[in-house]
Amino acid sequence: MRVRHGELRAPELTLGQKFWQVNWGLLLLVSACAGVGLAMLFSAANGDWDPWASRHAVRFGMGVGIMLLVALIDIRLWMRYAYLIYTIALLLLLAVEVAGTIGMGAQRWIDLKFFQLQPSEVMKIALVLALARYFHTLNFEDIGRVGYLLTPALMVAAPVILILRQPDLGTAVMLAVGSAVLFFLAGVRLWKFILVGLAAMGSVPIAWNFLHDYQKKRILTFLDPEKDPLGSGYHILQSKIAMGSGGMMGKGFIRGTQSHLNFLPEKQTDFIFTMLAEEFGLMGGLALMALYALIMVYGFGIAVRARSQFARLVGMGVTTTFSLYVFINIAMVMGVIPVVGVPLPLVSYGGTAMLTVMIGFGLLMNVYVHRDTRIGRRWSDHG
Amino acid sequence: MFGSFRTSRDAAPGHRREPRLDGHFADDGRTARRHAARRAGSERGETEEMRREAPPSSGPTRADGVFRQAIETGRTRLLITGAVMALAFVAVSGRLVDVAAIADPHEPRQLTAVRAQEVETERAAIVDRNGVLLATSLGTVSLSANPHKLLDPVEAAQKIATVLPELDPERLASRLSKETGFVWIHRNLTPRQQERVNRLGIPGVEFHKRESRVYPQGRLLSHVLGYTDVDNKGISGLEKSFDERLRARDEPLRLSIDVRMQHVLHEELQGAIDQFSAIGGAGVVLDVKTGEVAALVSLPDFDPNHPTADPQETRFNRATLGVYELGSTFKIFNTAMALDAGTVSMAGGYDASKPLRVANYTINDFHAENRWLSVPEIFIHSSNIGSAKMALEVGPAGQKAFMQRMGFLDRLDLEVGETGTPQYPDIWRPINTMTISFGHGLSVTPLHLASGVASMLNGGTRVSPTLLKRDAAPVGARVVSPDVSTAVRKLMRLNTIDPEGSGGNANVPGYVVGGKTGTAEKIGASGTYARKALISSFVAAFPMTDPRYVVYAVLDEPKGTKETLNYATGGWVAAPMVGRVIERIAPIAGITPVDPQDPSVRLALAIQPPMQEQKHLASFETRMASAIQTD
Repeated sequence: MRVRHGELRAPELTLGQKFWQVNWGLLLLVSACAGVGLAMLFSAANGDWDPWASRHAVRFGMGVGIMLLVALIDIRLWMRYAYLIYTIALLLLLAVEVAGTIGMGAQRWIDLKFFQLQPSEVMKIALVLALARYFHTLNFEDIGRVGYLLTPALMVAAPVILILRQPDLGTAVMLAVGSAVLFFLAGVRLWKFILVGLAAMGSVPIAWNFLHDYQKKRILTFLDPEKDPLGSGYHILQSKIAMGSGGMMGKGFIRGTQSHLNFLPEKQTDFIFTMLAEEFGLMGGLALMALYALIMVYGFGIAVRARSQFARLVGMGVTTTFSLYVFINIAMVMGVIPVVGVPLPLVSYGGTAMLTVMIGFGLLMNVYVHRDTRIGRRWSDHG
Repeated sequence: MFGSFRTSRDAAPGHRREPRLDGHFADDGRTARRHAARRAGSERGETEEMRREAPPSSGPTRADGVFRQAIETGRTRLLITGAVMALAFVAVSGRLVDVAAIADPHEPRQLTAVRAQEVETERAAIVDRNGVLLATSLGTVSLSANPHKLLDPVEAAQKIATVLPELDPERLASRLSKETGFVWIHRNLTPRQQERVNRLGIPGVEFHKRESRVYPQGRLLSHVLGYTDVDNKGISGLEKSFDERLRARDEPLRLSIDVRMQHVLHEELQGAIDQFSAIGGAGVVLDVKTGEVAALVSLPDFDPNHPTADPQETRFNRATLGVYELGSTFKIFNTAMALDAGTVSMAGGYDASKPLRVANYTINDFHAENRWLSVPEIFIHSSNIGSAKMALEVGPAGQKAFMQRMGFLDRLDLEVGETGTPQYPDIWRPINTMTISFGHGLSVTPLHLASGVASMLNGGTRVSPTLLKRDAAPVGARVVSPDVSTAVRKLMRLNTIDPEGSGGNANVPGYVVGGKTGTAEKIGASGTYARKALISSFVAAFPMTDPRYVVYAVLDEPKGTKETLNYATGGWVAAPMVGRVIERIAPIAGITPVDPQDPSVRLALAIQPPMQEQKHLASFETRMASAIQTD
């Protein structure tokens, strides 16, 4: 390890200057997505602001505030407290294991009276920060050494196992895949991925026994949804029927019969994309996906442009997590992957997911604002 | 999009040419920035130059090689990640196109396959005219034992009682100890009970497969369908009369009943019975053209699924078995008879200024006008005096022949066995003629009356009612001329729209309703008429321009309420209910409401004012005019 001597540095930005560095294009795109969500929730309540649309709007407004706050905090502070945040998130997950609220057959929430905290959501952000900090401190040669990979592997495994126990297969898979992307970007050798992949495949028959009945059923249903059309295959079948009935241009706003006549379950949360596709057709669905794709390209660009490894990994981690949300949700409602409870970011109704996504965008924005800030490899307070 | 990144790179040239102070490539920021530069460059097609770009100053070192490798790896991996994400999105978009625009999603065929599976039963189903299931058979299992084969009757009884707790173990044990080869233990076990009894493993008990009859509509059609006994044999209603047919063929028996109209009639009749504390009631909805009974209700009724749960008297069918003196509704027939006989015309009339005294009897008018009344006035004021005089001109022989033609002296030829025999005088004297003219002295069933009204309205041919669906309307014998039929339509219509008519409570805007009230005093135990015990009824038909349905409702001993000013007559208790029934069944029948002010409707049902007795002409005309206005 080499110690860094003095270096010419870009002058520190003041808060005011930082504010004007915020990526307003990204904010516009994010707001457009939230606007689509608002419209669909208005429609889901049969053309009423209550109970979903108004609260969605308020949450998004608060989310924008939080996002700007997160964006303006110095990136080095985020790096300094990355492990602390991760530790707190892990402790919260343990707390859920011990004293969580059971809802919908799963133990996922901590009741804070005014707010239902879902630590697995906090962990999505915390893990990105922690892994980014860890890989930032490694040099390229160290990454090749297996010993250095044990720590981050444990950092991923601990929350994944805890979340699997809740049980929440969807979030666990998202964490695992998101982390794998960070490992990959950090430069971990390809053969290690292959090895882990083979090991995972080998353990599938064993893991199968640990799955809950409803999880097994979902996977079997995914393989053949027509097998149980009135039971566990109902969601996906109704979803496909609703989408197909939308056709090219859709049935029109608040005119989706499948969704409004309640054939479509969970239309305001996980299956909101189906409702969009029913009311605005293929064109509406593709338009929303184009919006998401633009946000991803922005995220990708911001990460690429970042000067420090930490910032780049955080940028990519957030972008990946966001893309996974979108991909898993849309693929799920179309029957490409099994049903897992993953919402459509910015559009689905739900407070915790909105908070996570907005904090994520705050970090992405932060990376953009601090794109030229340098952080030494052997991290110290003075960078 | 990437323009902004290029710009920001160019905006910070100081960083780019930054000198290396320590000779080591320890700067991550630089790696990233270079990477960004290359990526941006590659998009502009400058990849080769960028790759050949040598690190500034000093020659290659080991660290330098590692650095280059790190750059290569980092860049490749970013590209791969981006590419994979893009691919995933493209794949999902492709799938979206497939699901939303190309594929034809449908409920899987298995569902229809399950529905289409026919179950063979020993007794065919009964369905309504639209195929709604009214009666079906369900396979069940009954339990018996052979006491000779039982090892220990007491133990067996105790074990069986654990599965069938409604059985008393001691009584069962004594039955199982009898010296016989066969004992019934329990009928109609559920599949779960059967399985649990089977698992007890008692030798000597046997299961017997049998069927039990199920009536999904409950008590809605109790008197029409009837019910079966424990051996699944029909013992009343259609179940009895079609017992052989239901056993012989698997094809469902299709009735003329429309379950929706049946429900409306049932509900409204029950509502009227509750409102006026009547002891019972009957109702009929009859298709005027075909004679098909669309709804037939007798209350109180019973649940054919548990026929013995309700009192015995609930099984009495008031609509087809009960015979009643049905009162003034008979004036429809009386007027038609006189018009058809030619003894009076619509313009004619009779003096009703004084009560009519014959032998020991005095005939009064309930709503006495005490003056000369025209034929339409006799009808709408329900004048007994006028009707009696009208009948007398036809004479007892002519009246009896007319009633014979109408079928009022014979039992109904109906598919159910529960049909009542009309009661009429053995010797038909003039006094009988006079009382029969306003519906006393001749007792018929409510269905007789509804069919008779249909015969009056369909152009004048006899309507024979049926409970089975008819494909074509049979042509009955002529009972009155078409002109008389038209006159009856006009009279019944006038009675609902004239402010002095008795049927105004049954009128429903748009459906051109016509009708006639009937209020008869019941014969008490002593054989005299009881003033307080009434049979109040209302018969209506609609639309009077071309009648489709007759709706008839009878209430047995209704009591007046404050709202009806304590009247319990047909116009107060039955007419509003019939109006509500019409309002609800007309849309089911697909009858389009018409504007009653439409000239074609008014002209078709207008009555010429009487030409004689000029002094009444003015008032009659005024009334006609205001009557039409008020509809």
